[in-house]
Amino acid sequence: MLEIVRQQMICIVAPGWAGGAELPKPLHDGLNAVLRDVAVVHFASIGLLPALTGDPDPQPSLVLELAVEEGFRPYDLLYRLVYHPGGAMWALFGSMIAPNVAEPTAQHKQQLLDKLMSWHSIADGGFVGARDRSVRQIAMEKDLLDQTRIEARKLKPKYGNDRTAFALALSRWAYANPDFGWAATAAPRSYWRGKGAGIGAKLAYPVAAIVLWFALLGIVWALPRAFNWFFGEPGRVGKAIEHAVTKTTECLFTMSWHGLLAFAVIAFLVWLFLVPLPAQFVSWRRWLNSVQQELDRPTETLSSLATYVGGWVIGVPLLLAVAACAIAYTLAPLAYALAPVYMHDVIEPKLPKLTGLQITLIAVVAIAAVLAIGALFYRLNRYFTGLSEKFFHPLEDDVPRAQQIHPSVERCEAELVDGTQHMFSLTELRGPQWWSAWCIRVALRIVTFAGRVFFTQGWLGNAPGIHFGHWHIIDGGRRFLFCSNYDGNFGGYLDDFINGAAVGTTLAWRWTELHPREPALAGQPGVAKPRSFPPTRFVVFRGVKCELKFKSYARDSMLPHLYHFDACNRTVDQINLATGLRDALFGERNGKNDDLIMRAIET
Amino acid sequence: MKLSTYEPDALAPGIRRLSYGLFCWLNRHIVVLRAAGALLRRWPSIGGPFGMVARASAVKDVLTRTPSFSNTAHAANMVSGDYLIGMDPGPTYTADRALVRERLDALDVPNASDEEAKRRIGILDSGDRSFDLIENYLMWVVFHAMKPLFGSATDAVVAGSADPAAQAAVDEGLQRQYMLEIRYVAGQLLAGSLATLDLRRRAETCGDALQARIDRVTGPIGTAWGVKSASQDIERNAVGLAWISHPVTVQSGALAVQELLGRPKVYEKLWSRAQSLKDRVWTDTGFRKDVRDHVLELMRFRPIFPLLARDVPRDTELQTGARQNAKCPGGGKVSLLGIAALFDPSVVSDSRSFCPERDWGSEDPLRYLMFGYGYRQCPARDHAVDILTSALIGLLTLPRLQLARGEGKAITYDGPLMLSMRMRIT
Repeated sequence: MLEIVRQQMICIVAPGWAGGAELPKPLHDGLNAVLRDVAVVHFASIGLLPALTGDPDPQPSLVLELAVEEGFRPYDLLYRLVYHPGGAMWALFGSMIAPNVAEPTAQHKQQLLDKLMSWHSIADGGFVGARDRSVRQIAMEKDLLDQTRIEARKLKPKYGNDRTAFALALSRWAYANPDFGWAATAAPRSYWRGKGAGIGAKLAYPVAAIVLWFALLGIVWALPRAFNWFFGEPGRVGKAIEHAVTKTTECLFTMSWHGLLAFAVIAFLVWLFLVPLPAQFVSWRRWLNSVQQELDRPTETLSSLATYVGGWVIGVPLLLAVAACAIAYTLAPLAYALAPVYMHDVIEPKLPKLTGLQITLIAVVAIAAVLAIGALFYRLNRYFTGLSEKFFHPLEDDVPRAQQIHPSVERCEAELVDGTQHMFSLTELRGPQWWSAWCIRVALRIVTFAGRVFFTQGWLGNAPGIHFGHWHIIDGGRRFLFCSNYDGNFGGYLDDFINGAAVGTTLAWRWTELHPREPALAGQPGVAKPRSFPPTRFVVFRGVKCELKFKSYARDSMLPHLYHFDACNRTVDQINLATGLRDALFGERNGKNDDLIMRAIET
Repeated sequence: MKLSTYEPDALAPGIRRLSYGLFCWLNRHIVVLRAAGALLRRWPSIGGPFGMVARASAVKDVLTRTPSFSNTAHAANMVSGDYLIGMDPGPTYTADRALVRERLDALDVPNASDEEAKRRIGILDSGDRSFDLIENYLMWVVFHAMKPLFGSATDAVVAGSADPAAQAAVDEGLQRQYMLEIRYVAGQLLAGSLATLDLRRRAETCGDALQARIDRVTGPIGTAWGVKSASQDIERNAVGLAWISHPVTVQSGALAVQELLGRPKVYEKLWSRAQSLKDRVWTDTGFRKDVRDHVLELMRFRPIFPLLARDVPRDTELQTGARQNAKCPGGGKVSLLGIAALFDPSVVSDSRSFCPERDWGSEDPLRYLMFGYGYRQCPARDHAVDILTSALIGLLTLPRLQLARGEGKAITYDGPLMLSMRMRIT
C-alpha cells in the first residue's frame, strides 16, 4: 500500500554531470514538450548535487525529480519518457551513456533506460496533497471551473441572490454542455478517500486480522479432534501430536488474549490521561499543555530543563514499567507452559494480591496526586510571580537574524513566485549512518502511512498546501534528499510544518546534519560551516520548534533547480475547489452543493 | 482519441490484488476452470442465478443473441479507445467491419508466415540452443504475416512518424518496442478492469503512446488503405487493428505450444512426421492440414479467452440448459465459460481426449469457439490459424524442443499474459 505512494515520487541521481550549471533553452522546451505530451507527470525538477565529501570524482550529480500520477511502476514511466519520440531524455542524459550520439538507436535507448533504472530511487517516504487526480483531470476540472465562472457572470443579473435557482441554472448549463460530458460521473476517489474514509473502515483491518488469527488458532486446535472424530482414537504418536497442538494453541490463545487486554488497558489509560481528564480538570489540562510546551520549548530555560529531567526521572521509568508489565502479562502463559512449577512456587508468592477495588483506588489516588501537584504548581506560579518569571524566562533566539540566502536559491524562488514553489534540500546522515537511515526509513513509513490512510484531504497533519513532498536516502545511505512542491512561500511553508506537522518533520530530519561542502558548480550554493539539526527531546519534541534554527538549517541545505515543470500550476485549494464544483454541479441538488457552487464561482 | 484519465483504486487494499491474482491463476491453471465448468455444465441451475453459462448450447445461444447480450462488456477493458470487439452493431460497426475484412483480404497467409517462420527457424537453428519462443520467434512470424494490415504504412506506424528518414531508421529494436507496447494494451482485454493499478496504468500509458503514434501517421495509413475516411475513423481502426491482431495471435501460439509440449506423445508423433518429410514439410498439404487440426485442438485445450463476459442491456432470460431459464436483469453481465462449452460431451464426442482428427460434423463452428461464435466471431479467425500453423510447422522442423527448466522459471507471466517462454533445442 505504501509503495504505490512512494512510486509516485521518483528521483534519478545521475553521477558525473559534465554539463554546466544551466540547461540550454532547447532542452527546456524539449522536456516541457515531452512531459506535456506524456501527461502523467505533475511536477519535474532538475538540480545539481555537490559531489560527496571525499569522493575522488569531483563532478556533481544531476538529479531529476519526478512527481507523477498514482499507479506507475518506475520502469513503465521511464520507458514512456525514454522512448518518447521527442527524445528529450536522451538530450539530457545521453552524453552520460554514449557521448556525441545525437540520434540514439533502440539499443542506445534501452541502455539509457537500464541506466536510469539503476540510478532511480523511489521515495523513502512522501505525501501527496491533491490525491486521486490525474494531470488531465485537473486540467479538465480547471476548464470547468473557469467556464462556470464565465457563465455565472452572465447569469448573475438574472438570478441575483436566489442561490438555489442560480445553482440550478448553472447545473443545467453544465449538463447541457457537451464538452463536460466527462464530468457527469463523480470524481473518482480511492478507497481511503471514498468508502474507507470512515473510522470503521480503518478499524476493520486490525479487527479482521485479530479475528482471523483467533479463527486460525481455533482451526488448528480443532484439527486433531476432527481427525479423531473421523478416524477414531489415535496411536501414541497421534496422541503426542494432539497434546502438543493443544498445548501450543491454548498457550498462543491465552497469550493473544493477554496481549489484547494489555493493549486495551494501555490504550484506555492513554485515552483517560489525554482526553477525559484534561476535559474535566483545568489543572490537569494546564499541566499537560505545560509539559508539551516545555518539551518543545526551543531555549534552555529552567522550566524546560526541569520538564526534561522530570521526563527522564519519572516519565521514562513509568513508561518502561508499564511496558514491562504489559510484556510480562502477555508472556505469562508461555512461562506457565514452560516452567509451571517455578511460576507457582517462586513467582506467584512474590506477586502482590490486590483486589480490583484496591487497584482502582490506587489509580484514583495516583490521578488525584497528579492533579494536586498540578494545582499546587499553578498556585505557586501565581503567588511567586518573580520566581515564576525567572523559571519561565522569555524566549531567546540563538540564531543571527539575517539569514543569508544564496542568490541562486532566491532566483529560483522568484521565478516561481506566481506558481507552485519548489525546494531541494540536501543533508548528510548522522553517524552511525546505517542507524540513522534505518530510523529515518521507519519514521518516513509512518508518515507515509498516516498520509495515505488518515490525512486524505490535502493536509498533512495541520499543514496545508503540499502537492508532493518526498524524502530519499541516496548515495548508499550517506545523504538525505528532500524535495517538495508546495503552495505559498518558503517561510510560510516551513511554518506550516512547524505548527502543523512538527512531530513528523522532526522525526524525518532529526537524524541529519550539514557537513561543509563545496558548491556543485560555480554559482551554486555550498556549505561553509558544519551544522546540526536543532536538538530534539524524546525523539519527537523540540527539533523544528526551534523555528529560526530550523529555518536557517533548512535554508542552508537548499539547492537551486536548473529546470522546473509544473503541469497544472494550480494550488491544492484550487484543485480541490474545482473537483468539488464538478461533483456539486453534476450531483444532487441540495443546499450543500448549492453552497459549494456559489463558493466556487465567487472565490 | 481516447485520453486516459486514471481512476484510483476504490477497492479496499488487497482485494484487487487477491481477485486479479485468482483470475490470473485460473487462466494459467486451465484444468481448474475446466473442472468448475464441468460442474456448472452438469448442474446449470447453479450458475444461472449468477449469470454463468457453461453448456455449449447455452454459450452459443448467448453469443448469437447479440442485441440481448452485448459486446460492450469489453469496452471497460479497452484502454486505447473503442473498436469493433466492444461495439454494438450499427453503421460504425458495419463500416469498420467492412474495412477490417478488406485489410484482412490483403494478407498473404500462409505464404508470408511460412517465409518468416523459415527465416526465424534458420536463425534459431544456427544460434545457441535456447531461445524465447515469444520474443525470438512467434512475435516476428505474426508481425511479418500481418504487415499488409498497414501495408506501405507499416514502417510509419512502427516509427510513429510520417517522416521518411524516421521510417528508414526502423530496425528490429523499434519493431520490438512497438510490439511490446501493443502487447500491454491487449493484455487488458483479459479482465483489465479487474487488473491491479500498476498494470492498468502501464496499459493506459501504452494505449496513449499507441494512439499518439497512430495519430501522427493517419495520412500514410489512409493512403496505404486507399480510403478517404475521416482521420478519427482511420485512427480508431488502425489503433484497434494494431493492438488486437498481433498480441492475441502471439499469445494463442504460445499457449498452443505450451499445451503441445505438455503432451510428449503428440509432439513426438508430429515431430517425427515433420522430420520424415524433410524439404516437403512446408509444401505437403496433408501435413499442413494435420498441423492445422492440431493447432485448433491445442487451442481448444488452452483457449486465450476461457472466460468471456457480455453486457445485458435490458431485462432478459438466459437459457442455461436447466429446466427454467435464468433471469438476467438489465444493466448486469453474464459470464460464459467457453472452456466448458468446448468440452461439452453432448456436442463434442470424446471431449476429454486430445483428438485433432475428430469429426465435428454439424458442430464444426463450435470448434472455433475461441474466436467467438456467430456473426460477431473474429473476422481474422482463419488467418490466425494459418499463421499459427506456419509457426508450428517451423518449430517442428527444429530438433526436439523442450521448456528450458532449471534456469529459473521457463515460463514467466505478466498478469494473465505469458511474458516469455524459454525453450531449449535438445
